[in-house]
Amino acid sequence: MARINNQIRRLRFENGEMTQEELAQRAGCTRQTIIALEQGKYVPSIELAFKIARALSVSLEEVFQYEG
Amino acid sequence: MSFKRFTLIRILIIIIMAGLISWAITSGNAWIPIPVIIAALIILLLFRRRVREVVVDERVYSTAEKASFFALRVFGIAAAVIGVTLVTLGWQSSSDLYKIGLTLAFSVCGLVLIYYIAHIYYNRKYSGKK
Repeated sequence: MARINNQIRRLRFENGEMTQEELAQRAGCTRQTIIALEQGKYVPSIELAFKIARALSVSLEEVFQYEG
Repeated sequence: MSFKRFTLIRILIIIIMAGLISWAITSGNAWIPIPVIIAALIILLLFRRRVREVVVDERVYSTAEKASFFALRVFGIAAAVIGVTLVTLGWQSSSDLYKIGLTLAFSVCGLVLIYYIAHIYYNRKYSGKK
């Protein structure tokens, strides 16, 4: 079964130890969504994925990896 | 305004609204509930606009969609079965069971009709057809 992994937590800490709240504000989503993403419980839309990558100042592929 | 404060205000408004509607029902004032509900919704909307934080995002909508679809299926099947059963039981005597069953059955029909219309609308909107 296809799976999408992410490096949000690691990249968040590498980005000046950004908090979940800060990332949520920058990406325009709730902190609960960031938590769900980091726990692998939720797969974001393309738009939100791009917003998160931009907030972390990295490319989309650095944040999300597709294992199909 | 923080979301936490808005939540407290919302609970307070709901309690007041529930109290007013309960009083209206017990005192027989049928004209009170509708303006009370409208006023409560307007007040909540005004306070909601002052909340700084992102409260609703795509995950919340996605969860609501799944929950709504599940509720529709469960209620639709249950109400249809119960409605038909009550109509059948009350058929001969035209008792309250018959009226309740009929109300329930037609409610489900209305719900399914609304769902069907909405489904057609959103299917056309997102299918690329013109």
